Amino acid sequence: MPTYQLTVNGRLRHVDAEPDTPLLWILRDTLGLTGTKFGCGQGVCGSCTIHLDGQAVKSCQTRLKDVAEHTIITVEGLSKDGSHPIQKAWLAEDVAQCGYCQPGMIMTAAALLKHKAHPTDGDIDGAFAGHICRCGTYPRIRKAVKRAAGGAK
Amino acid sequence: MTNRRDFLRVTGAVGAGLVLGLHLDAKSKAGTAQFRPNAFLALRPDGTVCISVPKTEMGQGVRTSLPLIVAEELDLDWSRIEVVTALPGPEFKAMQTGGSTSVSSTWTPLRKAGAAAREMLKAAAAAQWNIGVDQCRTENGFVLGPRGRKLSYGHLAEAAAKQPVPKDPMLKQPADYRLLGKRTPRFDGPAIVTGKAVFGLDVRRPGQRFAAVLRCPVPGGQPRAWDETKGLAVQGVKAVVKVPTGLAVVADSTWAAFKGREALATSTTWDEGVGKDFSTLALEAKMRAALMGPADEARRVGDAEKALAAATNVLEAEYAFPYQAHATVEPMNATVHIQGEGVETWTGSQSPNEVQERTAAAVGLKTEQSKVNVTLLGGGFGRRLGTDFSTEAALVAKAAGGGPIQVVWDREDDFCHDLHHPATLHRMRAGLDGSGAISAWAHRIAGPSILRSWMGGQKSPDQASAEAGGALDIPYAIPAITVDFAEVEAPTPLGWLRAVEIVPNVFARECFLDEVAHATGKDPLQLRLDLLGDQDIVKFGQDEADLRRLKKVLQVATGKAGWGRKLTAGRGLGLACHAYDCRTYVAQVAEVSVVKGRLRIHKVTCAVDCGIVVNPWGLEAQVEGGIAFGLSALFTQITWEQGRTVQTGFQDFPILRLPDMPAVEIHVVLSREAPSGMGEPPVPLAIPAVLNAIFAATGKRIRRVPLDGESLT
Ligand code: FES
Ligand code: FES
Repeated sequence: MPTYQLTVNGRLRHVDAEPDTPLLWILRDTLGLTGTKFGCGQGVCGSCTIHLDGQAVKSCQTRLKDVAEHTIITVEGLSKDGSHPIQKAWLAEDVAQCGYCQPGMIMTAAALLKHKAHPTDGDIDGAFAGHICRCGTYPRIRKAVKRAAGGAK
Repeated sequence: MTNRRDFLRVTGAVGAGLVLGLHLDAKSKAGTAQFRPNAFLALRPDGTVCISVPKTEMGQGVRTSLPLIVAEELDLDWSRIEVVTALPGPEFKAMQTGGSTSVSSTWTPLRKAGAAAREMLKAAAAAQWNIGVDQCRTENGFVLGPRGRKLSYGHLAEAAAKQPVPKDPMLKQPADYRLLGKRTPRFDGPAIVTGKAVFGLDVRRPGQRFAAVLRCPVPGGQPRAWDETKGLAVQGVKAVVKVPTGLAVVADSTWAAFKGREALATSTTWDEGVGKDFSTLALEAKMRAALMGPADEARRVGDAEKALAAATNVLEAEYAFPYQAHATVEPMNATVHIQGEGVETWTGSQSPNEVQERTAAAVGLKTEQSKVNVTLLGGGFGRRLGTDFSTEAALVAKAAGGGPIQVVWDREDDFCHDLHHPATLHRMRAGLDGSGAISAWAHRIAGPSILRSWMGGQKSPDQASAEAGGALDIPYAIPAITVDFAEVEAPTPLGWLRAVEIVPNVFARECFLDEVAHATGKDPLQLRLDLLGDQDIVKFGQDEADLRRLKKVLQVATGKAGWGRKLTAGRGLGLACHAYDCRTYVAQVAEVSVVKGRLRIHKVTCAVDCGIVVNPWGLEAQVEGGIAFGLSALFTQITWEQGRTVQTGFQDFPILRLPDMPAVEIHVVLSREAPSGMGEPPVPLAIPAVLNAIFAATGKRIRRVPLDGESLT
């Protein structure tokens, strides 16, 4: 098995695994970073969203061989202590219900704000169209994104 | 009856502070009602407080709402509370979590426990200060006495433990509440937003392996022949073992288990079993026949058949609701470790006591040798009332040398081997007299019985009423009513889905009532108010509904939504209401537009009365989420062909997503009644409110779910 070098949450990690292994399982099973969730493995629910070089990507659709030498941030690495503006806004709006889809939502929200400081409703629709929350936290996700962008009450 | 003496007692050792055991299982079978002391509430000498929550957390907020009830009566400092989920066993025997009953079933005992502890702390302080108890009061983790005296609960805990436990402590008046009724963020929020929250799939034990089970695509089928070397050839795969549900591929990572299973599948042939010819088409034909055949009565008022025969006019319609999947975002899973004389399980379950028993039985141990750690649930919605996945994991662990093994279902497993909600057809008839008033109402439900499937194939004597919730408790005063259930067999395992049969039954009832309103030229709100009339308390079997509360929510929801206002072409308002389990009163008004065949659901205005509100934030989350859940079912379905589900993933089960989520406006009708429940009640009204709004907007009456795009063009 080949060895790959990844930078995950600022740490250099060496991973021995098959090249086509989805990054999701490297994070969860090899590196023990279980904050990134498995919802479908098919790219349709968004639970596994992480940042790859600052872009929100679905880690279940990302192969190990394609991410070597790239910078990976997971929900555990978004901030040291939960102080990222998106995390704070999430708590301020009490967004989560069961919480399972939420790390993916938070990673998408953080990437959205990085690229657009003041997203419109249309931007928010577009960013989250690839996510499923079965608990229906959508109204609060919208509010939390706006709060983090400084636009809401 | 609970032995009062046994309701609450000091259970902690000396030095542990004030530890109280609470007996919550008042309804346990005779002979087993012995109270095994638990550590429900611990006030430690260091000032921290630990509360064991006797229900499981699936997003409905029990790890926040139940501690809040205790904290209110006990005047705790909310910031110093630790919350743990209780361990099922003789100490906590009633952990099953479902039916929107967690708050209502624990409301009185939790308040009494908190109040008793408060009185004990006050008594301890009074003794220390040598004053009367009535000179002491409590605030935010302290007992306060005259002249600025103040002792912390931590300081008093040991002495309080020596005080007698009051039998009937004084409870606070709602006007004095400091925590209840205020927005409190959920306890697990910080862990969730940092990725630290532990769900079943996040359990990692030393030496843990992962397994995926290759199951027959037809539920109940069995492998006939397979070549295990195909699975073992995959890097990381350690073993292939036969279990009752199929072939388990055990590996050192989830991905290897999935890959091994895929390889094994190519070599496997199946005996598909009795379900192999099952199809939605054939089921529907049988259900349609059953609409006209014999049925079991669920409710009867007067003689509806006679009244229909005598009616001036009879309206009739057929409504259809499909099979549905739970589709929790976290697929089913459980981690099991069998070691010596014990078995330990980690799983997200709504039925922890049943998991404890059944896991033990599966591996040949006694219940007391079985320990179950309940993690957070990545969605429940009734799916995790089932114990199929935890029992399966125990059997995999047993066959593969003991574990620890985590059995992981993938998305396809989850859709194909769900305990689905079954399809139903509804034959609705209304008799109208010469003046256009409803003289008879007949609601026939035909479909498979969830209860029978749950009872292992046995027919329960309450089958008809269990399948007729939402239909039999029709709140409207109609002189002749008949509601009955005609069972149609289906070979697939069935289960409870959030709000269960009330979803299809209320959909048929509230849409058909809308048809009657339009057919008789009445406003749908006015017709409902007329039919509720001046009834106040109405009995349905054991339950009583207070129809004044239902009328109130109807008036509030319609008032706030601007019912009756002029709308532009293609826009419409639709209404639905229900007294859920005779406990939670809900009315919803949906505002939709249909432009060139494209539906947009703009807004749902919802009024609720669920008694005293423990946590408004939790209530609002349940309304928003319940509406999203209900609306999803307007677009999703599971269909069957050749014994298999046609849908295998989220890609063909279009759950509502953020861009399509309507605005939700919530109005709480304040009440001093005991709290009821909020997880399920908002769900069943979303579909009929929207379909009635579509009729108002377009004149198109939709009687079939899911909505297909063509029916709007
Ligand atoms: S798990 Fe990756 S999109 Fe669903
Ligand atoms: S919070 Fe439960 S799935 Fe989103």
